[in-house]
Parts: sequence; C-alpha cells; structure tokens
Amino acid sequence: MRRLDSKMARFFLILLSLGVLFSSGSMLWANPIEEDLEAKIAEFEKRLAELEKRNKELQVDRPDTEESISVQVEELQRQLDILAAEVERMRSVEQATELTQEDANKQGLGLSAASVYSKSEGLSFAGYGEMVYQNYADKKEDGTALDKTSQMDFLRAIIYTGYRFNDRFLFNSEIEFEHGSTSKGGSASVEFAYLDYIAHENLTLRGGMLLIPMGLTNEFHEPNVFMGVHRPFTEKYIIPTTWRENGFGAVGSSGIVNYRAYVVNGLNGASFSASGLRGGRQKGAKAKASDMAFVGRLDIAPTPGVFFGGSLYRGGSGQNQLAVNNKKLKVMTTIGEIHGQAQLQGWDVRGLWSKATLDDVAALNTHLSKTGKDKIAKSMLGGYFQTGYNVLSQLPTNVSLMPYYRFERLNTHDGLVGTTDVDLALDQTFHTVGFELKPIYNVVVKADYQITRNKAKTGYNQLNMSMGYSF
Amino acid sequence: MGTMWNRQFLCFVAVFCLISSARGNSFPTREEVLASLFPKSTIQVERVFLTRAQQQEAVLLSGVKVPSALIARYIAWKEGEEVGRAYVDTHVVRTKKESLLICLDAKGLLRRIEVTAFREPPEYMVSDRFYAQYHGKALSNSLSLQRSIRPVAGATLTTKATNQAVRRILAIDQVLRSHEGSPL
Repeated sequence: MRRLDSKMARFFLILLSLGVLFSSGSMLWANPIEEDLEAKIAEFEKRLAELEKRNKELQVDRPDTEESISVQVEELQRQLDILAAEVERMRSVEQATELTQEDANKQGLGLSAASVYSKSEGLSFAGYGEMVYQNYADKKEDGTALDKTSQMDFLRAIIYTGYRFNDRFLFNSEIEFEHGSTSKGGSASVEFAYLDYIAHENLTLRGGMLLIPMGLTNEFHEPNVFMGVHRPFTEKYIIPTTWRENGFGAVGSSGIVNYRAYVVNGLNGASFSASGLRGGRQKGAKAKASDMAFVGRLDIAPTPGVFFGGSLYRGGSGQNQLAVNNKKLKVMTTIGEIHGQAQLQGWDVRGLWSKATLDDVAALNTHLSKTGKDKIAKSMLGGYFQTGYNVLSQLPTNVSLMPYYRFERLNTHDGLVGTTDVDLALDQTFHTVGFELKPIYNVVVKADYQITRNKAKTGYNQLNMSMGYSF
Repeated sequence: MGTMWNRQFLCFVAVFCLISSARGNSFPTREEVLASLFPKSTIQVERVFLTRAQQQEAVLLSGVKVPSALIARYIAWKEGEEVGRAYVDTHVVRTKKESLLICLDAKGLLRRIEVTAFREPPEYMVSDRFYAQYHGKALSNSLSLQRSIRPVAGATLTTKATNQAVRRILAIDQVLRSHEGSPL
C-alpha cells in the first residue's frame, strides 16, 4: 500500500510538475503577444477615447467657434463702418475747424486777428506786416515844385496773440510796432486787447481796448484784406483808422445780421484839427473819460462774400477840459457811415460814405485859438468807391492778380464851405489805379499810382508800392 | 407823439427780427437737408465700397473720374417704400474742396443739390438758381454745361465741378441699382 502510495505520489508529483511546466510554458508563449495586443488595444482604446472625447469636444465646440468668428466679423464690420464714416466725413471737409472770413467778420476782425477763435483752448499767435515805398512827382498840379522825398518805410510789424481759457472766456490782443524804430519816430502800441465772454452762440460780451466798429478798414486792416497800398483817406481822417478806445459792449450775429455795440471813452476834442478827427483818438492811453460815447454797427450778409450796413458813433469830446466864458464844452461828436462790400466770382467791389458833425465848434475853435483855414469845421464828409477783378479767378490756381481802381472824395472843411475860412486844399479828390498780386492768400505785393486833386490846385501824383503779409 | 415813437420802435424790432431770422451763411448739415427733403421718413445711412468693376462702370457711364471707392449714401424710407436717395460728393473746385449732397428721387432723378461744405472763398459760390436747373434730370449726354445746364458767368470752375459731381453720382447710383436690383 505504501508502495502504491509511493507510486501514486510520484505520478502526482510528475503530473504536477508537468502541469506547472505546461502552465509556465503557456505563460511564456502567451505573454509577449497578449501584452502587445493589450497594449495596442489599450493604446487604441485610449486613442479612440481621446478621439471620441475630441469629437465630442469638437461637436460641442464647433457652434461656439462659428459664433465667435461671427462676433469678431461683426465687430470688425462695426469698426470698419465707424472708420469709413469718419474717413468720409473728414474727406467731406464739412467739419473743418478752419476759421472762415465770414466767421472772422462776425467778430469784427480780419482772419489773422481772429485766430484765437479757431482754438478750443490755449495760446494763439498770428500777425501781419507791411513795407511801403512812396515816390512823389516833382510838381504839384498848379505847376509849382513839390519838395517831398521818396520814402521806404517798414510801416507796420504786428503781433496778434490771444489765449482761449475755455469755451466761454478768451483774450485777444494786437501789439503794433510802427515805422521800424522808436528812435526814428516809430512807436509801439497796443491796438486792441480785450476779454470776451461768449454768453451764447449769438452773443459775446466784450471789454477792454476795442477797435471801433466803423467802416471797412478800421477792424479789417490787414494788408491782404484792404485794397490799395494806402488805406482810403476817408477812413483815415473822418473814421480815424486804426481807431481804438477803452470800453465794453456786445458782439454777435443772428441769421444774416451781424452787430456790435460798445460804450467807450469819447474822443479828445482838444486834438481835433482842420484836417479831421484823427488827432482826437485817445488810443487807450490814460484816456480821458469824462465824456463817454456809444458806437453801434449793423451788417447784413445775405450771401457769402457780400455784406452791407452802417454804423453810428455819438459821444462828447469835451472831456471836461474845454471851456469858453466858463462854460464847459461838450463838443458832441457824431459820425455816421454806410458801407457795402461784395466779393463775387472774382470781383471785389467796395464802397463807403461817411459824415461827421461836431457841436460847439465855434467855441471849440475859440478855445483852441484856431482861426482862418485852421478852423475845425462843423461837418466833414468823405466817401469812396473801389472795384477790382482777379484776372486769374477762373483758373485753377491760388495766385490772385487784381487790377483795381478807387475813386474817393474827402472834404474835412465841408462845414465851412462858402465862408472865407474854408481851406480849398482840404476839398480833395483821389484817383488810385493799380494792382495787387497775391501768390498765396497771406502774401501780397501792391503797386498803384495815386492822383490827388484839390480845389486849391496843390494836389500831386505819387507812385506807391508795398509788400505785406499776414499769418 | 409817444405812440408814434412806440410804433416806429416796434416796426424796427419787427424788421430786425425778420432780417435776423433769415438764414445765415452757414451750410446746412446733411441731416437737415434730408429731414426737409424727406419729411417723416426713416433715413438709412450707408457707406458703400465700390468694387473696381463698379468704379470702372461708373466712369464709363459718367465720362468723369470716380476717384474714390468709398461712397456715402443715404436711403429714405417711408411706410416701407423707398422714397429717395442721397449721395455726398466731395471734390476740388479751384484749389480747395467743396461737398455737395446730391439728392435723388426713388426713380433716380435729381431732386436737390445742396452745398454742405465750401472751402474756397465765398466769392466762388454759385446761386441756388444754378443748382435748380438740375431738378428732375437724369444722366444723359445732354446733362452738361452749355447744353441742358446754363453756366454761370464768372463761376466756371464751380459750375464745372458741380456738373462733374452730378454726373458721377448719377452714374454711381445707376451702377449700384443695377447690381442691387431696382428698386432697392
């Protein structure tokens, strides 16, 4: 039994060993393949899972991506529309902030003088200047010798400066240097210096040293603005350009109407003369203000380039310093003028008529010891008409070449006509013919021939040339 | 006496108000012109980019240059119906630019030309009577100065620039309508 048991045990052990061997053998054979397959499957499964995941992600993400692109396209389109609108508006020059002559006219200034109005804030700087050459004939109209030396004068060098504080307040000024040097009879002056309070689009309150709003030249006196080498004589002796006084008032426009109304110190009658009111200007320098004056102006501008209107000045010129027989003289001074200007299709037509009257003239002459032809007249009269045509106006060029002619009459002894005191030399007629060349708007060269005639036959001819600029 | 002065003063005030209520020298805006020309209408604002082919077609139709592919167009709608269109044309007159708002009716005939910007000196402007000659006209060979349009003496450059602008806009309108289908 034991032997049998021993054999059985030996068989069992062999079988077990074979079983182990086979089992271990099968493991040795199957292991690399299965592992490889399993690894590959695992890898594929992983990849599939990733792809499925990705696919799901893509399926999920795709609508979002399109929407995102669509949003971006819409945003780009919106920005493009804004840019296109801006570009198109800029190209149209509808929103240009450049100041026009019409805008400057409303302020009672030339283009350069009004430069501060083109600013939204801060400093402005502009100016103008002119050099004048005068050559006189040898003889007067009556044949007697004329002893006047030709002259070349740097007549004016001007600086305009202003400061725009904000939308409501601004300061503007004109500083003038005349005749080159103070050591040679020249002068340095403030021609205007004022503060503006822009209360409304159509109403500005103004105070300071003001240009008197009369005529076509006093406020618009830049050399490229007025026609001729010399300013019209009416606007020198009756409206004493450049006339400025201290005061305050209002400036504005409404529709086609521009207006200005100021209260200023009156003229100084003690400095009036037979040749006009020019000496009566106080120029804002310690101005006597016992007598004040009112000056108002109204212009109608029905179409661009055209305006017409009038102005009136009235105020005392006695200034509490003139008296006869202990009676103070008021010397009420009234100056009126009407004017018109049309610049259309190359034509430039301007005209002005002015008259000044003085009260208390006899007493004034007595006080000032003026007799005979030196007497100041009760009334003074003057006016002019001028026309020019830019012969290059219909050519595509910025250059302007304008021949012009001005006819002018002036008599500052009008109120003495018919008396023995009248000075016939003051009853004058001027013919001025010439041309102005503007290679650009800001630069002008002028030349004209001026024939002056008067009833005393002492008139003479002269050649004038000038070069001017403004910026 | 007092009553007479009061009357004179009132007359002066009335005359002043009448004059000052008149239109000044400023130009109307596009929006103001469109509102007056197409009252109670909805204005659709567009900036159209012409293709090169459309530009060339407009040049052929108008006989003038079409320097820009960017066109500002306004379409007026009233109760779902298109009642008119307007285009802005900016061009050089002499040495500086002007902008015209050229308004057409639904059929493409000229209704109004309005200056919205003018940078030349004002003396180069022409009167409304010149622009009125274009009313009701379409693009044709006779739409030119000395033919169906009378020029203005002394304003040659302005009238020439205007006529070119009108021809250009009418041609662009035709091209756009043919590509978009008419009516819009």
